[in-house]
Amino acid sequence: MTTHTWHTGADLLEAYVAGRLDALEGASVEQHLMTCPECRGRLTPLVEAPLLDHAWAGIRAAVERPPQPFFIRMARRAGLSEPTAVLLTGSASLRTAWLSSSLVALGFAFIAARVSDGLLWPFLLVAPLVPVLGVAVSYGPSTDPLETLIVTSPYGRTRLILVRALAVLASCLPFAAVLGLMLPGPLWVAAAWLGPALAMIPVLLAIASFIGPRAAAGVISGGWSAVVLLSTRRLPATWPVEPDRQLVFLALAAAACAVLALRSRVTRQIGAAL
Amino acid sequence: MNLVELRGVTKRYGGTVAVAGIDLAFGEGVTGLLGPNGAGKTTVLRIVATSIAPDRGDVRVLGRDPLQSQTELTEIRRRLGYLPQELGLPHDMTTFGFIDYVAVLKEWNDQTRRANEVRRVIDVVGLGPCATKRVVKLSGGQRRRVALAQALLGQPQVLVLDEPTTGLDPSQRASLRQTLSAMATDSAVLLSTHQTEDVAALCERVVVLAEGAIRFDGSVTDLVSTAAGRVWLCDEPTETGVASWRTGTGRQRVVGGPRPSNSDPAEPTLEDAYLLMLGDRAAAELSLYDG
Repeated sequence: MTTHTWHTGADLLEAYVAGRLDALEGASVEQHLMTCPECRGRLTPLVEAPLLDHAWAGIRAAVERPPQPFFIRMARRAGLSEPTAVLLTGSASLRTAWLSSSLVALGFAFIAARVSDGLLWPFLLVAPLVPVLGVAVSYGPSTDPLETLIVTSPYGRTRLILVRALAVLASCLPFAAVLGLMLPGPLWVAAAWLGPALAMIPVLLAIASFIGPRAAAGVISGGWSAVVLLSTRRLPATWPVEPDRQLVFLALAAAACAVLALRSRVTRQIGAAL
Repeated sequence: MNLVELRGVTKRYGGTVAVAGIDLAFGEGVTGLLGPNGAGKTTVLRIVATSIAPDRGDVRVLGRDPLQSQTELTEIRRRLGYLPQELGLPHDMTTFGFIDYVAVLKEWNDQTRRANEVRRVIDVVGLGPCATKRVVKLSGGQRRRVALAQALLGQPQVLVLDEPTTGLDPSQRASLRQTLSAMATDSAVLLSTHQTEDVAALCERVVVLAEGAIRFDGSVTDLVSTAAGRVWLCDEPTETGVASWRTGTGRQRVVGGPRPSNSDPAEPTLEDAYLLMLGDRAAAELSLYDG
């Protein structure tokens, strides 16, 4: 054990704590403190406890915090904020729900379009439904084990569902756009399917507030399929997504938002809208 | 000061009345809800936790009406912790990851502050060494403590706990009691349980529910005193009371009914009082557990 023949003076210790020493003096005092219990004992009362706790908490946070999972890091690199990345990719059930539904449906649309000799309708039938079905499968007690907590969280169920819906849309957007460009017909079709896709999300939410998400997804899918299939008989293949139909989608989305707002008030049911 | 007030609250599920026009108000401290299965305990807790709305009646949490607007609702939820009776934990998440996820739902957006808070609640429930373990690898009691930890995020002013001691061993229950009694100095804690010993150890106030109505609302000692002079110890088995069983000393404990012959009066417990208050229904539940 080292026995010191000298000790740091009170003025020097105070200057050290206040950070007034230059690098050389500071290092010298630190070196001495490392081996001198007596000076460490005199130093302790000079350091404010809250400051020490704060510094220690910072060290613990840096050392003990587990590294973020791969998918959260990937989502952050894709430009998502850190909290949103945690919400969207925190659990495998959420990731697989929207990712697999997006990719499988789009792959099907591509195959269907090629097999049917370049017909556009399979693509238009499936692509707008993908985000809707992705939303339908990525929430609800059977798919999301945290449903009971989400319902009572300040973040809000509706907000979470909208974030998830946007995630589904964003994840399949590049693939759908490329598919759209590869298919026959005007180039604007590559983006035109987004109109019904975006409108279907609030419409799904509105219908779901009456009959639940799965039945609502069925109604939406059936309705859209009927529109696309019936239009193939006598109308151009692009008819379901032409500009004047986009106005109809806009009107439907606005009506659905109004229904959601009314439903929350009239039923007195917290979160009835969602 | 009352942090939670329910006035004339009714809730039905189809044709079944779960809660029938109850009035209940409570402030800081621990309030225990006791009652048999189907008494309406979980429904009351879900209403206070803003998980469901009542069909009739007024609810005030922290002075706000959760039915008034989304803003009021969100303000309440920011200061509320809720442990549901059954909480599914995603099998692929770690303890830290799960609580971190819930912390984001509770709007802890700053990553460093959130990590510190997550670490704090993990330490509070004594799961520090399990922070990086997947929840699927934890024991039942440890999973229950993970679920409890998320309810403690942000030191909520109103803490709603549905059967918090289920699956915990005696030392874990003692630790939970310590945590809750520390929290109850500044927060209103409402918990439901089947365990009368938890209520006796923790709650300043006990509310007994049966068939959706409040049968008793008062202090634990007042409830226990309702059983005074109605509990006996005797040598021979008897079927005369509301409930009777053989104790560890070999004598029969008889609760309620006429005094058995050759019996001695016994000091009543909260369980005795509960059995007497709910009569046959509670006794039937007791025999179910015994069986």
